Amino acid sequence: MNQTPAIQLTDLRKSFGSLQAVNGVSLSIAPGEVVALLGPNGAGKSTTIDLALGLAHPTSGTAALFGENPRAAIEAGRVGAMLQGGALLPTLTVAQSVALVAAAHKHPLSVEEALERARCTEIAKQRVSKLSGGQMQRARFAVAVVSNPDLLFLDEPTAAMDVEARRTFWQSMREFTDEGRTVVFATHYLDEADTYADRIVMLSKGVVVADGTPNEVKAVVSGRRIRASIDFAWTDDARDALSRLPGVRSLDHRAGQVAIVSDDSDATLRALLAAHTDVHDIEVTAHTMDDAFLALTEGAAGGASTGTAAGADTAAASDTTITNGALR
Amino acid sequence: MSIAYLGLESFRQLKNARSMIFTLAVPLIMLVAFGGSFGGSGQVDPVTKLPWIVVTTIQVASYGGMMAALSQAFNIVTERSIGWNRQLRITPLTGTGYLVSKVITAMLMALVSIVVIFTVSELLFHPPLAFGNWLTAGLGIWCGVIPFALLGILIGQFAKPEFAQPLFMAVFMGMAVLGGLWVPLQIFPAWVANVAQIVPSYWLNRIGQMGAHQSGDVLTPALVLAGWTIVLGAFIIWRYRRDASRS
Repeated sequence: MNQTPAIQLTDLRKSFGSLQAVNGVSLSIAPGEVVALLGPNGAGKSTTIDLALGLAHPTSGTAALFGENPRAAIEAGRVGAMLQGGALLPTLTVAQSVALVAAAHKHPLSVEEALERARCTEIAKQRVSKLSGGQMQRARFAVAVVSNPDLLFLDEPTAAMDVEARRTFWQSMREFTDEGRTVVFATHYLDEADTYADRIVMLSKGVVVADGTPNEVKAVVSGRRIRASIDFAWTDDARDALSRLPGVRSLDHRAGQVAIVSDDSDATLRALLAAHTDVHDIEVTAHTMDDAFLALTEGAAGGASTGTAAGADTAAASDTTITNGALR
Repeated sequence: MSIAYLGLESFRQLKNARSMIFTLAVPLIMLVAFGGSFGGSGQVDPVTKLPWIVVTTIQVASYGGMMAALSQAFNIVTERSIGWNRQLRITPLTGTGYLVSKVITAMLMALVSIVVIFTVSELLFHPPLAFGNWLTAGLGIWCGVIPFALLGILIGQFAKPEFAQPLFMAVFMGMAVLGGLWVPLQIFPAWVANVAQIVPSYWLNRIGQMGAHQSGDVLTPALVLAGWTIVLGAFIIWRYRRDASRS
Protein backbone atom coordinates (compact mmCIF):
# COMPACT_ATOMS: atom_id res chain seq x y z
CA MET A 1 0.00 0.00 0.00
CA ASN A 2 2.15 2.79 -1.26
CA GLN A 3 -0.75 5.08 -1.96
CA THR A 4 -0.68 8.76 -1.17
CA PRO A 5 -3.06 9.23 1.74
CA ALA A 6 -6.21 11.19 1.02
CA ILE A 7 -5.67 13.04 4.27
CA GLN A 8 -2.42 13.38 6.13
CA LEU A 9 -2.43 15.40 9.32
CA THR A 10 0.88 15.71 11.11
CA ASP A 11 0.97 16.89 14.70
CA LEU A 12 -1.69 19.51 14.07
CA ARG A 13 -2.18 22.10 16.78
CA LYS A 14 -4.51 25.04 16.92
CA SER A 15 -5.04 27.35 19.82
CA PHE A 16 -7.49 30.20 20.19
CA GLY A 17 -5.94 32.40 22.84
CA SER A 18 -5.40 30.13 25.82
CA LEU A 19 -7.76 27.44 24.51
CA GLN A 20 -6.05 24.49 22.86
CA ALA A 21 -8.76 23.42 20.42
CA VAL A 22 -6.56 20.87 18.65
CA ASN A 23 -3.59 19.60 20.56
CA GLY A 24 -1.35 17.44 18.43
CA VAL A 25 -3.54 15.44 16.05
CA SER A 26 -1.79 13.09 13.63
CA LEU A 27 -3.92 11.08 11.22
CA SER A 28 -3.41 9.29 7.96
CA ILE A 29 -6.53 8.38 6.01
CA ALA A 30 -6.21 6.22 2.92
CA PRO A 31 -8.28 6.75 -0.23
CA GLY A 32 -11.58 4.88 0.00
CA GLU A 33 -11.83 4.91 3.77
CA VAL A 34 -15.02 6.02 5.46
CA VAL A 35 -14.01 7.56 8.74
CA ALA A 36 -16.19 8.83 11.58
CA LEU A 37 -14.92 11.60 13.80
CA LEU A 38 -16.49 11.19 17.19
CA GLY A 39 -16.19 13.34 20.24
CA PRO A 40 -18.15 15.49 22.64
CA ASN A 41 -18.86 19.14 21.91
CA GLY A 42 -15.65 21.10 22.02
CA ALA A 43 -13.50 18.04 21.34
CA GLY A 44 -11.98 19.72 18.30
CA LYS A 45 -13.83 17.89 15.51
CA SER A 46 -14.87 20.95 13.55
CA THR A 47 -11.56 22.69 14.09
CA THR A 48 -9.74 19.59 12.83
CA ILE A 49 -11.91 19.62 9.71
CA ASP A 50 -11.28 23.34 9.21
CA LEU A 51 -7.54 22.76 9.52
CA ALA A 52 -7.62 19.82 7.12
CA LEU A 53 -9.41 22.00 4.56
CA GLY A 54 -7.05 24.91 5.08
CA LEU A 55 -9.94 27.09 6.26
CA ALA A 56 -8.06 27.72 9.48
CA HIS A 57 -4.31 27.98 9.80
CA PRO A 58 -2.69 25.63 12.29
CA THR A 59 -0.64 27.06 15.13
CA SER A 60 1.82 24.29 14.25
CA GLY A 61 1.84 21.06 12.28
CA THR A 62 0.74 20.42 8.73
CA ALA A 63 -2.30 19.20 6.83
CA ALA A 64 -2.11 17.69 3.37
CA LEU A 65 -4.86 16.38 1.08
CA PHE A 66 -3.73 13.91 -1.60
CA GLY A 67 -0.16 14.84 -0.83
CA GLU A 68 -0.53 18.53 -1.57
CA ASN A 69 -1.63 21.53 0.38
CA PRO A 70 -5.39 21.61 1.00
CA ARG A 71 -5.98 24.66 -1.17
CA ALA A 72 -4.39 22.95 -4.19
CA ALA A 73 -6.63 19.89 -3.71
CA ILE A 74 -9.68 22.15 -3.41
CA GLU A 75 -8.73 24.06 -6.57
CA ALA A 76 -8.39 20.75 -8.40
CA GLY A 77 -12.00 20.05 -7.41
CA ARG A 78 -11.08 16.92 -5.44
CA VAL A 79 -12.69 18.02 -2.18
CA GLY A 80 -16.30 18.62 -1.18
CA ALA A 81 -17.63 19.57 2.21
CA MET A 82 -20.71 20.13 4.28
CA LEU A 83 -19.41 22.40 6.99
CA GLN A 84 -20.75 23.62 10.25
CA GLY A 85 -21.77 27.21 9.75
CA GLY A 86 -21.67 26.75 6.00
CA ALA A 87 -25.19 27.51 4.91
CA LEU A 88 -26.86 28.35 1.63
CA LEU A 89 -28.23 31.68 0.46
CA PRO A 90 -31.88 31.90 1.52
CA THR A 91 -33.09 33.72 -1.59
CA LEU A 92 -31.98 31.03 -4.06
CA THR A 93 -33.72 27.79 -4.90
CA VAL A 94 -31.92 24.51 -4.23
CA ALA A 95 -31.16 24.06 -7.94
CA GLN A 96 -29.83 27.62 -8.23
CA SER A 97 -27.58 27.10 -5.21
CA VAL A 98 -26.15 23.95 -6.73
CA ALA A 99 -25.73 25.67 -10.11
CA LEU A 100 -23.95 28.65 -8.54
CA VAL A 101 -21.44 26.48 -6.72
CA ALA A 102 -21.05 24.25 -9.79
CA ALA A 103 -20.17 27.32 -11.83
CA ALA A 104 -17.27 28.03 -9.48
CA HIS A 105 -15.85 24.55 -10.07
CA LYS A 106 -13.82 23.39 -13.02
CA HIS A 107 -15.23 19.92 -13.69
CA PRO A 108 -18.54 19.72 -11.88
CA LEU A 109 -21.28 17.12 -12.18
CA SER A 110 -24.39 18.28 -13.94
CA VAL A 111 -26.78 20.06 -11.61
CA GLU A 112 -29.38 17.34 -12.25
CA GLU A 113 -26.99 14.59 -11.25
CA ALA A 114 -25.93 16.33 -8.04
CA LEU A 115 -29.57 16.89 -7.11
CA GLU A 116 -30.37 13.28 -7.92
CA ARG A 117 -27.51 11.95 -5.82
CA ALA A 118 -28.58 14.01 -2.83
CA ARG A 119 -32.27 13.04 -3.29
CA CYS A 120 -33.07 16.69 -3.93
CA THR A 121 -34.84 16.40 -7.27
CA GLU A 122 -38.28 17.00 -5.83
CA ILE A 123 -37.17 20.01 -3.78
CA ALA A 124 -35.03 21.48 -6.59
CA LYS A 125 -37.34 24.42 -7.21
CA GLN A 126 -37.91 25.26 -3.57
CA ARG A 127 -36.36 28.30 -2.03
CA VAL A 128 -33.67 27.58 0.53
CA SER A 129 -35.49 29.74 3.10
CA LYS A 130 -38.50 27.42 2.87
CA LEU A 131 -36.66 24.15 3.49
CA SER A 132 -37.09 22.01 6.58
CA GLY A 133 -34.01 21.07 8.59
CA GLY A 134 -33.62 17.71 6.89
CA GLN A 135 -34.22 19.13 3.41
CA MET A 136 -31.64 21.81 4.10
CA GLN A 137 -29.05 19.16 4.94
CA ARG A 138 -29.83 17.32 1.70
CA ALA A 139 -29.49 20.54 -0.27
CA ARG A 140 -26.11 21.13 1.37
CA PHE A 141 -25.12 17.59 0.48
CA ALA A 142 -26.01 18.32 -3.16
CA VAL A 143 -23.81 21.40 -3.04
CA ALA A 144 -21.00 19.37 -1.50
CA VAL A 145 -21.05 16.65 -4.17
CA VAL A 146 -21.54 18.84 -7.24
CA SER A 147 -17.79 19.20 -7.67
CA ASN A 148 -17.64 15.39 -8.04
CA PRO A 149 -15.06 15.18 -5.25
CA ASP A 150 -12.78 12.28 -4.35
CA LEU A 151 -12.87 13.33 -0.73
CA LEU A 152 -15.88 14.51 1.20
CA PHE A 153 -15.99 16.14 4.63
CA LEU A 154 -19.33 16.09 6.40
CA ASP A 155 -19.62 17.94 9.67
CA GLU A 156 -22.66 16.58 11.48
CA PRO A 157 -24.53 15.87 8.25
CA THR A 158 -27.62 14.36 9.84
CA ALA A 159 -28.18 16.98 12.52
CA ALA A 160 -31.82 18.11 12.34
CA MET A 161 -32.89 15.04 10.37
CA ASP A 162 -35.60 12.66 11.46
CA VAL A 163 -35.04 8.90 11.41
CA GLU A 164 -36.37 8.39 7.89
CA ALA A 165 -34.35 11.29 6.53
CA ARG A 166 -31.20 9.97 8.18
CA ARG A 167 -31.69 6.57 6.61
CA THR A 168 -32.20 8.10 3.16
CA PHE A 169 -29.18 10.30 3.65
CA TRP A 170 -26.92 7.39 4.50
CA GLN A 171 -28.21 5.48 1.50
CA SER A 172 -27.10 8.26 -0.81
CA MET A 173 -23.82 8.41 1.09
CA ARG A 174 -23.32 4.68 0.52
CA GLU A 175 -23.71 5.09 -3.23
CA PHE A 176 -21.05 7.72 -3.02
CA THR A 177 -18.57 5.69 -0.99
CA ASP A 178 -19.17 2.49 -2.98
CA GLU A 179 -17.40 4.25 -5.84
CA GLY A 180 -14.22 4.25 -3.77
CA ARG A 181 -14.36 7.80 -2.52
CA THR A 182 -13.08 8.91 0.83
CA VAL A 183 -15.49 10.30 3.40
CA VAL A 184 -14.81 11.84 6.78
CA PHE A 185 -17.86 12.63 8.84
CA ALA A 186 -18.25 14.11 12.28
CA THR A 187 -21.30 13.01 14.19
CA HIS A 188 -22.96 12.91 17.57
CA TYR A 189 -24.90 9.78 16.69
CA LEU A 190 -22.73 6.91 17.82
CA ASP A 191 -24.86 4.33 16.04
CA GLU A 192 -24.17 6.14 12.75
CA ALA A 193 -20.46 5.87 13.34
CA ASP A 194 -20.89 2.23 14.30
CA THR A 195 -22.97 1.39 11.24
CA TYR A 196 -21.51 3.46 8.44
CA ALA A 197 -17.83 4.00 9.22
CA ASP A 198 -14.95 1.64 8.41
CA ARG A 199 -12.94 3.42 11.00
CA ILE A 200 -13.65 5.55 14.02
CA VAL A 201 -11.39 8.30 15.25
CA MET A 202 -12.40 9.54 18.66
CA LEU A 203 -11.35 12.98 19.77
CA SER A 204 -11.43 14.45 23.23
CA LYS A 205 -9.95 17.75 24.35
CA GLY A 206 -8.18 18.15 21.04
CA VAL A 207 -6.37 14.81 21.05
CA VAL A 208 -7.09 11.45 19.42
CA VAL A 209 -8.09 9.06 22.19
CA ALA A 210 -9.02 6.10 20.01
CA ASP A 211 -8.57 5.13 16.41
CA GLY A 212 -9.73 1.81 15.01
CA THR A 213 -12.59 -0.16 13.50
CA PRO A 214 -15.94 0.19 15.28
CA ASN A 215 -15.42 -3.26 16.85
CA GLU A 216 -11.95 -2.39 18.06
CA VAL A 217 -13.20 0.79 19.63
CA LYS A 218 -16.10 -0.96 21.32
CA ALA A 219 -13.70 -3.62 22.61
CA VAL A 220 -12.01 -0.95 24.71
CA VAL A 221 -14.81 -1.43 27.15
CA SER A 222 -14.83 -5.18 26.86
CA GLY A 223 -16.97 -7.43 28.99
CA ARG A 224 -20.53 -6.98 30.06
CA ARG A 225 -22.33 -5.22 32.77
CA ILE A 226 -24.44 -7.10 35.31
CA ARG A 227 -26.95 -5.16 37.33
CA ALA A 228 -28.94 -6.70 40.14
CA SER A 229 -30.89 -5.71 43.19
CA ILE A 230 -29.53 -7.21 46.42
CA ASP A 231 -31.27 -7.75 49.72
CA PHE A 232 -28.16 -8.50 51.82
CA ALA A 233 -26.27 -5.81 53.71
CA TRP A 234 -23.58 -4.02 51.77
CA THR A 235 -20.52 -4.44 54.01
CA ASP A 236 -16.84 -4.46 53.25
CA ASP A 237 -16.89 -8.25 53.54
CA ALA A 238 -19.76 -8.52 51.09
CA ARG A 239 -17.91 -6.24 48.69
CA ASP A 240 -14.72 -8.31 48.96
CA ALA A 241 -16.66 -11.52 48.40
CA LEU A 242 -18.28 -10.15 45.27
CA SER A 243 -15.04 -8.78 43.88
CA ARG A 244 -13.48 -12.25 44.22
CA LEU A 245 -16.13 -13.79 41.95
CA PRO A 246 -14.68 -15.05 38.65
CA GLY A 247 -14.32 -12.47 35.89
CA VAL A 248 -15.19 -9.41 37.97
CA ARG A 249 -13.34 -6.32 36.90
CA SER A 250 -15.08 -3.68 38.96
CA LEU A 251 -18.17 -3.22 40.99
CA ASP A 252 -20.24 -0.51 42.41
CA HIS A 253 -23.15 -0.35 44.82
CA ARG A 254 -25.85 2.19 44.98
CA ALA A 255 -29.28 2.22 46.59
CA GLY A 256 -29.63 -1.55 46.93
CA GLN A 257 -28.39 -2.16 43.41
CA VAL A 258 -25.06 -3.59 42.47
CA ALA A 259 -23.40 -3.05 39.13
CA ILE A 260 -20.65 -5.45 38.16
CA VAL A 261 -18.42 -5.14 35.14
CA SER A 262 -17.21 -8.58 34.18
CA ASP A 263 -14.91 -10.06 31.58
CA ASP A 264 -16.82 -13.34 31.81
CA SER A 265 -20.39 -12.55 32.71
CA ASP A 266 -21.55 -16.18 32.49
CA ALA A 267 -19.08 -17.36 35.12
CA THR A 268 -19.69 -14.34 37.31
CA LEU A 269 -23.40 -14.85 37.20
CA ARG A 270 -23.22 -18.56 38.03
CA ALA A 271 -21.00 -17.88 41.03
CA LEU A 272 -23.12 -14.94 42.14
CA LEU A 273 -26.33 -16.97 42.11
CA ALA A 274 -24.64 -19.89 43.86
CA ALA A 275 -23.42 -17.62 46.65
CA HIS A 276 -26.52 -15.48 47.10
CA THR A 277 -30.15 -16.42 46.96
CA ASP A 278 -31.20 -12.87 47.80
CA VAL A 279 -30.28 -11.37 44.43
CA HIS A 280 -33.08 -10.49 42.02
CA ASP A 281 -34.01 -8.44 38.96
CA ILE A 282 -30.80 -9.40 37.21
CA GLU A 283 -29.94 -7.63 33.98
CA VAL A 284 -26.94 -8.36 31.76
CA THR A 285 -26.04 -5.86 29.05
CA ALA A 286 -23.30 -5.66 26.47
CA HIS A 287 -21.27 -2.50 26.22
CA THR A 288 -22.42 -0.16 23.55
CA MET A 289 -20.68 2.45 21.50
CA ASP A 290 -22.00 4.92 24.07
CA ASP A 291 -20.04 3.15 26.82
CA ALA A 292 -16.89 3.16 24.73
CA PHE A 293 -17.44 6.79 23.94
CA LEU A 294 -17.91 7.78 27.57
CA ALA A 295 -15.03 5.65 28.75
CA LEU A 296 -12.63 7.02 26.19
CA THR A 297 -13.62 10.66 26.30
CA GLU A 298 -13.86 10.83 30.06
CA GLY A 299 -10.68 8.83 30.37
CA ALA A 300 -8.93 11.61 28.53
CA ALA A 301 -10.45 14.10 30.92
CA GLY A 302 -8.52 12.48 33.76
CA GLY A 303 -10.55 9.35 34.40
CA ALA A 304 -12.41 10.91 37.28
CA SER A 305 -14.81 8.35 38.65
CA THR A 306 -18.14 9.81 39.48
CA GLY A 307 -19.10 7.05 41.91
CA THR A 308 -22.13 6.04 39.89
CA ALA A 309 -22.51 2.75 38.08
CA ALA A 310 -21.45 4.42 34.88
CA GLY A 311 -18.57 5.96 36.72
CA ALA A 312 -17.36 2.53 37.78
CA ASP A 313 -17.30 1.45 34.16
CA THR A 314 -15.42 4.52 33.28
CA ALA A 315 -12.83 3.91 35.93
CA ALA A 316 -12.44 0.32 34.83
CA ALA A 317 -12.08 1.32 31.23
CA SER A 318 -9.62 4.03 32.12
CA ASP A 319 -7.11 1.36 33.03
CA THR A 320 -7.14 0.28 29.43
CA THR A 321 -7.46 3.69 27.87
CA ILE A 322 -5.79 3.67 24.53
CA THR A 323 -4.08 6.76 23.41
CA ASN A 324 -3.03 8.05 20.07
CA GLY A 325 -3.86 5.20 17.83
CA ALA A 326 -2.64 2.35 19.98
CA LEU A 327 -5.31 0.19 18.38
CA ARG A 328 -3.97 0.40 14.89
CA MET B 1 -11.84 32.45 -12.67
CA SER B 2 -15.10 31.25 -14.10
CA ILE B 3 -17.19 33.44 -16.39
CA ALA B 4 -20.21 31.24 -15.66
CA TYR B 5 -19.83 31.95 -11.96
CA LEU B 6 -19.52 35.70 -12.50
CA GLY B 7 -22.62 35.64 -14.68
CA LEU B 8 -24.76 33.66 -12.23
CA GLU B 9 -23.57 35.68 -9.27
CA SER B 10 -24.33 39.03 -10.94
CA PHE B 11 -27.69 37.79 -12.17
CA ARG B 12 -28.58 36.57 -8.69
CA GLN B 13 -27.77 39.98 -7.21
CA LEU B 14 -29.62 41.89 -9.92
CA LYS B 15 -32.76 39.94 -9.07
CA ASN B 16 -32.36 41.42 -5.62
CA ALA B 17 -32.44 44.91 -7.13
CA ARG B 18 -35.88 45.41 -5.61
CA SER B 19 -34.10 46.24 -2.39
CA MET B 20 -32.60 49.21 -4.23
CA ILE B 21 -35.90 51.06 -4.09
CA PHE B 22 -34.91 52.26 -0.65
CA THR B 23 -31.42 53.21 -1.75
CA LEU B 24 -32.92 55.17 -4.63
CA ALA B 25 -35.71 56.88 -2.72
CA VAL B 26 -33.51 59.45 -0.97
CA PRO B 27 -31.61 60.68 -4.04
CA LEU B 28 -34.82 60.84 -6.08
CA ILE B 29 -36.50 62.98 -3.43
CA MET B 30 -33.40 65.21 -3.35
CA LEU B 31 -33.55 65.50 -7.12
CA VAL B 32 -37.18 66.52 -7.20
CA ALA B 33 -36.77 68.98 -4.32
CA PHE B 34 -33.54 70.67 -5.41
CA GLY B 35 -34.13 70.34 -9.12
CA GLY B 36 -37.51 72.00 -8.81
CA SER B 37 -36.30 74.90 -6.66
CA PHE B 38 -33.00 75.71 -8.38
CA GLY B 39 -33.03 74.49 -11.90
CA GLY B 40 -36.53 75.09 -13.19
CA SER B 41 -35.76 78.16 -15.26
CA GLY B 42 -32.38 77.25 -16.68
CA GLN B 43 -29.99 79.30 -14.52
CA VAL B 44 -26.29 78.58 -14.95
CA ASP B 45 -23.91 77.84 -12.10
CA PRO B 46 -21.12 80.43 -12.27
CA VAL B 47 -18.43 78.06 -10.95
CA THR B 48 -18.95 75.04 -13.20
CA LYS B 49 -20.57 76.95 -16.07
CA LEU B 50 -23.15 74.18 -16.22
CA PRO B 51 -26.90 74.70 -15.92
CA TRP B 52 -27.96 74.31 -12.29
CA ILE B 53 -30.26 71.44 -13.09
CA VAL B 54 -27.34 69.54 -14.64
CA VAL B 55 -25.13 70.23 -11.62
CA THR B 56 -27.91 69.04 -9.30
CA THR B 57 -28.61 65.91 -11.33
CA ILE B 58 -24.93 64.98 -11.38
CA GLN B 59 -24.61 65.58 -7.65
CA VAL B 60 -27.67 63.49 -6.86
CA ALA B 61 -26.58 60.71 -9.24
CA SER B 62 -23.16 60.68 -7.57
CA TYR B 63 -24.79 60.35 -4.20
CA GLY B 64 -27.14 57.62 -5.46
CA GLY B 65 -24.36 55.67 -7.18
CA MET B 66 -22.17 55.91 -4.10
CA MET B 67 -24.95 54.69 -1.81
CA ALA B 68 -25.85 51.82 -4.13
CA ALA B 69 -22.23 50.66 -4.28
CA LEU B 70 -21.56 51.10 -0.57
CA SER B 71 -24.73 49.30 0.46
CA GLN B 72 -23.34 46.08 -1.01
CA ALA B 73 -21.74 45.91 2.42
CA PHE B 74 -25.03 44.69 3.88
CA ASN B 75 -25.42 41.86 1.39
CA ILE B 76 -21.90 40.67 2.06
CA VAL B 77 -22.32 40.84 5.84
CA THR B 78 -25.43 38.69 5.55
CA GLU B 79 -23.72 36.19 3.26
CA ARG B 80 -20.83 35.89 5.65
CA SER B 81 -22.98 35.55 8.74
CA ILE B 82 -24.83 32.55 7.31
CA GLY B 83 -21.55 30.90 6.30
CA TRP B 84 -21.78 31.32 2.55
CA ASN B 85 -18.17 32.51 2.36
CA ARG B 86 -17.02 29.29 4.02
CA GLN B 87 -18.88 27.37 1.34
CA LEU B 88 -17.17 29.46 -1.35
CA ARG B 89 -13.77 28.78 0.20
CA ILE B 90 -14.13 25.08 -0.66
CA THR B 91 -14.49 25.94 -4.34
CA PRO B 92 -11.66 26.94 -6.68
CA LEU B 93 -12.91 30.54 -6.55
CA THR B 94 -9.84 32.69 -5.86
CA GLY B 95 -9.56 35.92 -3.91
CA THR B 96 -9.41 37.79 -7.20
CA GLY B 97 -12.46 35.96 -8.49
CA TYR B 98 -14.37 36.90 -5.36
CA LEU B 99 -13.25 40.53 -5.68
CA VAL B 100 -14.30 40.71 -9.34
CA SER B 101 -17.68 39.08 -8.68
CA LYS B 102 -18.47 41.55 -5.91
CA VAL B 103 -17.19 44.59 -7.81
CA ILE B 104 -19.30 43.69 -10.84
CA THR B 105 -22.39 43.48 -8.66
CA ALA B 106 -21.72 46.73 -6.82
CA MET B 107 -20.98 48.53 -10.08
CA LEU B 108 -24.14 47.17 -11.70
CA MET B 109 -26.17 48.47 -8.78
CA ALA B 110 -24.47 51.86 -9.04
CA LEU B 111 -25.14 51.92 -12.78
CA VAL B 112 -28.83 51.21 -12.28
CA SER B 113 -28.95 54.02 -9.74
CA ILE B 114 -27.21 56.55 -12.01
CA VAL B 115 -29.32 55.66 -15.03
CA VAL B 116 -32.58 55.90 -13.08
CA ILE B 117 -31.67 59.31 -11.67
CA PHE B 118 -30.58 60.68 -15.06
CA THR B 119 -33.76 59.36 -16.64
CA VAL B 120 -36.03 60.85 -14.01
CA SER B 121 -34.23 64.19 -14.31
CA GLU B 122 -34.61 64.11 -18.09
CA LEU B 123 -38.30 63.31 -17.87
CA LEU B 124 -39.14 65.92 -15.23
CA PHE B 125 -36.83 68.83 -16.02
CA HIS B 126 -35.60 68.36 -19.60
CA PRO B 127 -32.12 69.65 -18.70
CA PRO B 128 -30.28 71.28 -21.61
CA LEU B 129 -27.49 68.77 -22.16
CA ALA B 130 -26.77 66.61 -25.21
CA PHE B 131 -27.12 62.84 -24.93
CA GLY B 132 -23.41 62.33 -25.55
CA ASN B 133 -22.57 64.64 -22.65
CA TRP B 134 -24.96 62.78 -20.36
CA LEU B 135 -23.20 59.61 -21.40
CA THR B 136 -19.74 60.89 -20.49
CA ALA B 137 -21.08 62.47 -17.30
CA GLY B 138 -22.59 59.13 -16.27
CA LEU B 139 -19.40 57.31 -17.19
CA GLY B 140 -17.41 59.79 -15.10
CA ILE B 141 -19.57 59.26 -12.04
CA TRP B 142 -19.52 55.51 -12.58
CA CYS B 143 -15.70 55.47 -12.57
CA GLY B 144 -15.74 57.67 -9.50
CA VAL B 145 -17.92 55.09 -7.74
CA ILE B 146 -15.29 52.31 -8.02
CA PRO B 147 -13.54 53.11 -4.70
CA PHE B 148 -16.92 53.14 -2.97
CA ALA B 149 -17.78 49.75 -4.39
CA LEU B 150 -14.52 48.47 -2.92
CA LEU B 151 -15.12 50.23 0.40
CA GLY B 152 -18.58 48.68 0.58
CA ILE B 153 -17.13 45.21 -0.02
CA LEU B 154 -14.46 45.79 2.60
CA ILE B 155 -17.01 46.92 5.20
CA GLY B 156 -19.00 43.81 4.36
CA GLN B 157 -15.94 41.65 4.88
CA PHE B 158 -14.95 43.07 8.21
CA ALA B 159 -18.18 44.04 9.94
CA LYS B 160 -20.14 41.78 12.20
CA PRO B 161 -23.86 42.01 11.44
CA GLU B 162 -24.56 44.26 14.41
CA PHE B 163 -21.77 46.70 13.49
CA ALA B 164 -22.40 46.91 9.75
CA GLN B 165 -24.82 49.83 10.00
CA PRO B 166 -22.68 52.08 12.27
CA LEU B 167 -19.53 51.27 10.29
CA PHE B 168 -21.33 52.05 7.08
CA MET B 169 -22.53 55.39 8.48
CA ALA B 170 -19.08 56.29 9.80
CA VAL B 171 -17.42 55.62 6.45
CA PHE B 172 -20.19 57.31 4.53
CA MET B 173 -20.24 60.47 6.65
CA GLY B 174 -16.48 60.66 6.94
CA MET B 175 -16.16 60.43 3.19
CA ALA B 176 -18.92 62.96 2.63
CA VAL B 177 -17.44 65.55 4.99
CA LEU B 178 -13.82 65.06 3.90
CA GLY B 179 -14.75 65.18 0.26
CA GLY B 180 -16.70 68.40 0.71
CA LEU B 181 -20.05 66.94 -0.24
CA TRP B 182 -21.84 68.44 2.75
CA VAL B 183 -19.83 71.45 3.87
CA PRO B 184 -18.09 73.61 1.26
CA LEU B 185 -14.34 73.08 1.61
CA GLN B 186 -13.75 76.83 1.30
CA ILE B 187 -14.68 77.34 4.95
CA PHE B 188 -11.82 75.04 6.07
CA PRO B 189 -8.12 76.03 6.13
CA ALA B 190 -6.39 75.58 2.78
CA TRP B 191 -4.60 72.41 3.82
CA VAL B 192 -7.92 70.66 4.42
CA ALA B 193 -8.97 71.42 0.88
CA ASN B 194 -5.67 69.96 -0.33
CA VAL B 195 -6.08 66.82 1.74
CA ALA B 196 -9.63 66.48 0.46
CA GLN B 197 -8.23 65.91 -3.03
CA ILE B 198 -6.98 62.46 -2.09
CA VAL B 199 -10.47 61.43 -0.93
CA PRO B 200 -12.52 59.73 -3.65
CA SER B 201 -15.71 61.55 -2.67
CA TYR B 202 -14.02 64.87 -3.55
CA TRP B 203 -13.74 63.72 -7.14
CA LEU B 204 -17.02 61.88 -7.47
CA ASN B 205 -19.22 64.62 -8.89
CA ARG B 206 -16.28 66.60 -10.27
CA ILE B 207 -15.56 63.77 -12.70
CA GLY B 208 -19.25 63.80 -13.53
CA GLN B 209 -19.01 67.53 -14.29
CA MET B 210 -15.90 66.96 -16.39
CA GLY B 211 -17.85 64.34 -18.28
CA ALA B 212 -20.70 66.77 -18.84
CA HIS B 213 -18.21 69.34 -20.17
CA GLN B 214 -16.23 66.67 -21.96
CA SER B 215 -13.11 68.54 -20.88
CA GLY B 216 -10.92 68.98 -17.82
CA ASP B 217 -7.82 67.50 -16.22
CA VAL B 218 -8.61 63.84 -15.62
CA LEU B 219 -5.07 62.82 -14.67
CA THR B 220 -5.25 63.70 -10.96
CA PRO B 221 -8.62 62.01 -10.32
CA ALA B 222 -7.49 59.01 -12.38
CA LEU B 223 -4.40 58.61 -10.19
CA VAL B 224 -6.38 59.04 -6.98
CA LEU B 225 -8.96 56.47 -8.11
CA ALA B 226 -6.31 54.01 -9.24
CA GLY B 227 -4.49 54.36 -5.91
CA TRP B 228 -7.64 53.67 -3.89
CA THR B 229 -8.63 50.83 -6.17
CA ILE B 230 -5.30 49.04 -5.84
CA VAL B 231 -5.02 49.41 -2.07
CA LEU B 232 -8.63 48.48 -1.31
CA GLY B 233 -8.61 45.64 -3.85
CA ALA B 234 -5.51 44.14 -2.26
CA PHE B 235 -7.16 44.35 1.17
CA ILE B 236 -10.28 42.58 -0.09
CA ILE B 237 -8.30 39.72 -1.63
CA TRP B 238 -6.22 39.36 1.52
CA ARG B 239 -9.32 39.35 3.68
CA TYR B 240 -11.17 36.80 1.55
CA ARG B 241 -8.27 34.38 1.82
CA ARG B 242 -8.32 34.70 5.56
CA ASP B 243 -12.00 34.99 6.21
CA ALA B 244 -12.98 31.39 6.65
CA SER B 245 -13.02 30.91 10.37
CA ARG B 246 -16.26 29.94 12.01
CA SER B 247 -18.04 32.79 13.71
